[in-house]
Amino acid sequence: MLKAENIVSYKQYLVSIFIIWILVIILIGRFFQIQIMGHDQYSKKANTNRIRKVTSTAPRGLILDRNGQILVDNSPTYVLTAIPGELSHKEKKFDIISDILGLDSLTVSKNYKKYYRGKFLPARIAKDLTFNQLSQLEENKINLGGIYYEQFPERYFPSKVNASHILGYVREIDKPIRSGLDQKNEYEIGDMIGWIGLEKQYESFLKGIRGIYFYEVDAFGREVGQVQELEPQNPEPGKNIVTTLDMEIQYKIEEIMVGKKGVIMVGNPETGAILGAVSAPFFEPDLFTGLMLEKDWEKVLQHPDKPLFNRMIQGLYPPGSIVKMITASNLLTNPEFDPKITQICEGHYQFGDRLFGCWSDLGHGAMDLTAAILNSCDIYFYKNVHLIDLNDLSRSFQSFGFGHPTQIDIPGELIGIVPTMEYMNTRYGRYGWSKGALLNICIGQGELLVTPIQVFNYINLLATRGKAGTPHLVMVDNIPENISTRLDTKHWDRIISDMRNVIIHKNGTGRRANPAILGMDIYGKTGTSENPHGENHAWFIGWAEYGGAKLSIVVLLENSGSGGAVAAPVAQKVFNQIATYNQFTFND
Amino acid sequence: MINIRSTEFKEIPVKIIWAVAFLTVMGLIVLKSISQHHPGGLFQNPFTKQLFFLIPAILVSCVILFIPRYTIHKYSYTFYLIGIFIVLLPFLGTAHAGTYRWLNIGLPFAIQPSEFAKVFTLLALARYLSDHNLEMQKFSSIIIPILLVIIPTTVVLNQPDLGTAIIMMTPVLPMLYWAGARPFYLFLMLAPLFSMLTAFDNFAFTIWVGFLGIIIFLSRPKRMVSLSLFFGNIFLGLFSPFLWNALKPYQQNRILTLLNPEKDPLGAAYQIIQSKTAIGSGGLFGKGWGVGTQTHLKFLPVQESDFILSVMGEELGFISISLVLLVFGFFIVQILKRSYLSKDRFSSLALMGFASIFMTHVFVNTAMTVGLIPVKGLPFPFISAGGSFLISSYIMIGLILKLSVNYSE
Repeated sequence: MLKAENIVSYKQYLVSIFIIWILVIILIGRFFQIQIMGHDQYSKKANTNRIRKVTSTAPRGLILDRNGQILVDNSPTYVLTAIPGELSHKEKKFDIISDILGLDSLTVSKNYKKYYRGKFLPARIAKDLTFNQLSQLEENKINLGGIYYEQFPERYFPSKVNASHILGYVREIDKPIRSGLDQKNEYEIGDMIGWIGLEKQYESFLKGIRGIYFYEVDAFGREVGQVQELEPQNPEPGKNIVTTLDMEIQYKIEEIMVGKKGVIMVGNPETGAILGAVSAPFFEPDLFTGLMLEKDWEKVLQHPDKPLFNRMIQGLYPPGSIVKMITASNLLTNPEFDPKITQICEGHYQFGDRLFGCWSDLGHGAMDLTAAILNSCDIYFYKNVHLIDLNDLSRSFQSFGFGHPTQIDIPGELIGIVPTMEYMNTRYGRYGWSKGALLNICIGQGELLVTPIQVFNYINLLATRGKAGTPHLVMVDNIPENISTRLDTKHWDRIISDMRNVIIHKNGTGRRANPAILGMDIYGKTGTSENPHGENHAWFIGWAEYGGAKLSIVVLLENSGSGGAVAAPVAQKVFNQIATYNQFTFND
Repeated sequence: MINIRSTEFKEIPVKIIWAVAFLTVMGLIVLKSISQHHPGGLFQNPFTKQLFFLIPAILVSCVILFIPRYTIHKYSYTFYLIGIFIVLLPFLGTAHAGTYRWLNIGLPFAIQPSEFAKVFTLLALARYLSDHNLEMQKFSSIIIPILLVIIPTTVVLNQPDLGTAIIMMTPVLPMLYWAGARPFYLFLMLAPLFSMLTAFDNFAFTIWVGFLGIIIFLSRPKRMVSLSLFFGNIFLGLFSPFLWNALKPYQQNRILTLLNPEKDPLGAAYQIIQSKTAIGSGGLFGKGWGVGTQTHLKFLPVQESDFILSVMGEELGFISISLVLLVFGFFIVQILKRSYLSKDRFSSLALMGFASIFMTHVFVNTAMTVGLIPVKGLPFPFISAGGSFLISSYIMIGLILKLSVNYSE
């Protein structure tokens, strides 16, 4: 049976051997390509394959008032996360979750997409879980494989004050926000970042360092232990910041401003520390924490009084008569000017073809500088306007801090407008404006626009004879240097005594700011600024000296009438309440 | 009577035995590593399971050494029929994970009959090609050998087991070549396959049709034959998109995954990516025995059988992989040498067949783990775990050793 002879030729044998070795070489070559040439790339891939990096949010630092009272705290909330790689029957699970949380299941899957970062990274699907919801989820645990919950520290405001514009708020980082950040790698989607106010300014202090844990996971994404080679990193809470605010003072001025529009700022003129500041209307600071409904957000945004708008640093107002001390200082440095010479105020003043009125239609009669300031007479200044040069006046405004940022430590400060020749030429054209503009500017009207924080710095400079500290809200060592205002002592003496007269003279426009407390001396100036948006804005700026301490104040009440009638009584109330509260003892 | 000291036993190719022993030990080393974290139980642990099956495997191959060569030749058709019968048996039982590959006869493990059928089919083919003094120069004389193989292959393909079906088919070409068939005819056998594969790309199809035309022109068959060959192939190519739709989705997926492995990272491509990651991260010397992260964290799929080379690549590195592949090449070449030196045609053809089966296993398995070809469920001989496969491999070794020895009866 096995008679058939083998007929394989040597050539066939060689061909077959050749093919075998070619195939073996192809395979070995491929291994060489993957194992030797691709080693680094695949090693990296192998490591990320097996290591799951889990981060835990570090609690942000607290924000305290000057006496250590907590203004901003953290409260532990729970967030629900899903690990995509472990999530099967996603829709069914989302239905269960949305049932328990009382959410639309669309919201849950929308969140899932929004926070999706990778197959083995937890994606947040809901937050602010109540304990009750948590226990219901726990009961359904068996149907919710791949769903986890974790603690998440959220901002919480335990104090009675709002201070919302100062404290600001944090915002959750989403994809567009993250891509716009400078230090992208320090943040993950879903982290909180200071968005406004102190939360933003002191982000690097408050933020803290996230905890990082490395878990070894198997191909199903199940954790099988910690990775030995990589040191876990516990979360490091952010640093606390101590503000210059006094919670009681802040509370009192917030109460005063309820239902009003405007600004009150109270502070120590020597140091620039702000003891209390309110921009009204304000909002509840926890507006932005927790679940915010679209319609609430719309309501806040659409509100005609713009509660989100921080008037202190972003509101631009004509200062009106409160800047008359600057005009006076400008005149005093002019050798042709004599403060003793009186001008007659008939209640109006003809300049070219325009008639300028004084606030008092009847006229103030014969006025010297002191009388002009305490009566806040405009005509006196109009009649001296020939002694004033616009650029020289604008330098005076700038020497009191207008037209510059005050360097207050909350972001978003505007610098306002201090008109110069160049400014007027650019705005109106070389011949588009007349010297009549100077009449407006010298009494704080016209093109001049200032922010309340600049006014606060201005009153501080007056109170300290030009040596005030930079306005600030947080007690730090490296406060930037403030501008200093240089004037002759005799000029300071005159201006300050005139401001004293504003309060104590029987005709002084600021007399209603005086709380008449024994030993407390008030200095000040009122302002009633005309504005194109309706009723006049009422200003009062001033300071109180009491037991060796100074307390400066800025009151601005939008569209409410005259400074003397409306703003000065508010200042009086504030001085009164602070004197009752702590006798002006501030531990600076 | 057989005398242990007879020349027959002195002629046994010891090099082949050493190669098999080396590969088996390498397999056990890798399986031991995989089994570290496996629960106990003889048949749950790939290492102990493999050790267990090694006993009958070696025994069977030794028994074969004592079977006279003419008996093997005589009963090869009978075994061929038995082979067809046993691959049909699973269809009588219930489906095993949707397939009819496995035969459950009450043992703690299932048997894969196609592993044995492939050996029997090969022997029948060797006998047919050696018994009939075929005029291999004629195209018609290769029809019956192909039919002989196609019958069991069709059954296996319907189990469905594409991998084993390929293994059954592949020895046909080299054995026909060994039997003296014109390479042109072998080319014509492969031509329809290329026509179908290239049909999905207009450019590739055009190139292929041009190439086909040149080959047919140079070989100068009769005009009618050449025209029908040429247009038959074009027609088939145009039809293959419809044939494609007749394929099972998992088969379509495997082919598609080859073309674009990144397309579906969690499907079949996931396996290739994980396999390449394991191998690539192993580097020159590997991460060390028992500490491959991809292996032990179960990123590697079917690591004890289909992807065992990836485990070896990760833990033992390029050096060990190259050594294994070189030893395997040496092993195959030794078989081919015996086949060339064989005095009778039956032994020569059977040895060529076994060499092709082993080489196909190695090439398909290895090329799959490194992403050169689609994922096919084919194990690596002597190294992958698997009872039926280990025993059938050792049966082939027994036959190889037996048929390698030249003696006159």
